[in-house]
Amino acid sequence: MRKSIGDNMIPKDWGFERGLDLVKHAGFDGIELWLGDMPWFQTATTDPAVRELRRKIENAGLVVSNVSTGLHWATPLSARDPSVRAQAARIVERQIETAVLLGTDAILVVAGLVTEEVPYNEVYQRCVDALKPLGDKAARAGVKIGCENCNSEQRFLLSPREFAQFLNDINSPAVGLHLDVGNIHDTGFAEQWIEIHGPRITRIHLKDVLKHRGRSGDQSVYTNLFLGDNNWPAIRAAMTKVGYDGWLIAEMEARYRYAPDQQFYDTSQAMDRLIAGRL
Amino acid sequence: MVMHRREFLGYAASALTIALPGHDSRSNAPSAVTVLDLKEHCSLRESLAGYERASAGVVPRRPMLIVPAAMTLPAAVTSEIAACLGGGGTVLLESGAGFAGEWGLRVHRDMLRRLQVHVAAARCKSRDVPYIDYAWPYRTKIRDFSRVVPLAEPQPGEVIAWVDRLPVASKRRIGTGTLIYLGSPVGPSLWAGDVEARRWLHAVAHAA
Repeated sequence: MRKSIGDNMIPKDWGFERGLDLVKHAGFDGIELWLGDMPWFQTATTDPAVRELRRKIENAGLVVSNVSTGLHWATPLSARDPSVRAQAARIVERQIETAVLLGTDAILVVAGLVTEEVPYNEVYQRCVDALKPLGDKAARAGVKIGCENCNSEQRFLLSPREFAQFLNDINSPAVGLHLDVGNIHDTGFAEQWIEIHGPRITRIHLKDVLKHRGRSGDQSVYTNLFLGDNNWPAIRAAMTKVGYDGWLIAEMEARYRYAPDQQFYDTSQAMDRLIAGRL
Repeated sequence: MVMHRREFLGYAASALTIALPGHDSRSNAPSAVTVLDLKEHCSLRESLAGYERASAGVVPRRPMLIVPAAMTLPAAVTSEIAACLGGGGTVLLESGAGFAGEWGLRVHRDMLRRLQVHVAAARCKSRDVPYIDYAWPYRTKIRDFSRVVPLAEPQPGEVIAWVDRLPVASKRRIGTGTLIYLGSPVGPSLWAGDVEARRWLHAVAHAA
């Protein structure tokens, strides 16, 4: 397994190159690029500029693990407004294009948001309809779309079996699950998601979660690996059981008030222990 | 029975002007539901798909023409609407302008005015409860579609649905036919498998 971390974890005032050095020195093998999050990688970033990003990443001794985006939170594939949906699909297409340019074969998509306004049945159907042609495009490009499980935030696809049905309905070998083991909260157990989805997992996001310890005790809070309630030995065992040997990508919230770069070193070491099974 | 546009044109070829009171060109052929694909003038393809799916197998009391998510109506479609009404049929005209820009809404309003459907200058959104209250053909609630193109008052015909007390759908006799206007699309609910929306459509087909 290889270790990666998002470029959106790079301290804001560090800049891309200095950030890459930090990622490398902390012991990561790759970097996850977040389309639309950081000034160096926007939807308007040209192909030559994307190739330049790749050159810098490779010069730093890293590779791109995958292309993610948070843009679908504001521009979801499940929007009722057709113009917003078209924009959302274009974002996925740009992710696919940039993944090819960056030499990676996976993208992360947050597929659909259930809201008070847009009900579940509509969201489900729209996402299936949108992801079928996008899956074809991804397959032609040699890229896999990993739909992330953002269970509580999306209010969508809350159980692993439901997620499996969703993937069955899309019925594309190029569309799978980008599993976030910290996003499951009280709706289940990450190791069971791993077991059920096995070969359909495109990438794994790592973070820990403190269940029900947030504001007023009614919210879960994300934290660094091993500080929360995830059952890491079970998660590691499930990875072994299904033969997952792909990228592990750290996606924590920046929790260090001082010395923010220390979070990279601590996370990298924790990931080493997880991979080695020394838990 | 679902008919496609070509079949419908043959069906209703004898009536090509807006129906006049007393003019009845109903044929003896079995009634059918025709769902018109307005192509680029249809703003929600899922609405079209919803009506196509939900109307399969429906045999309406009178010929029924459904125009899903209409933004504008090309002249040929206006003729089809006139033919249907002239034949004593029912036209269900669904607004597709909920998400249109200001210019699109203005064009839409002008189009509806030609059919004597007067809509308000601004769209609205249901406040707390995301349902449209229908009073015809029976009392029921169907999901709204975020932005509604409400009716202006006064309005010829009968108001059949409201959101937050604002009228959003109407039914009006034109000659022997019936024109139903929906200011909040039902097609997307049909497409998403909403059982109540389907039941309502079937009831309209049998009541109109």
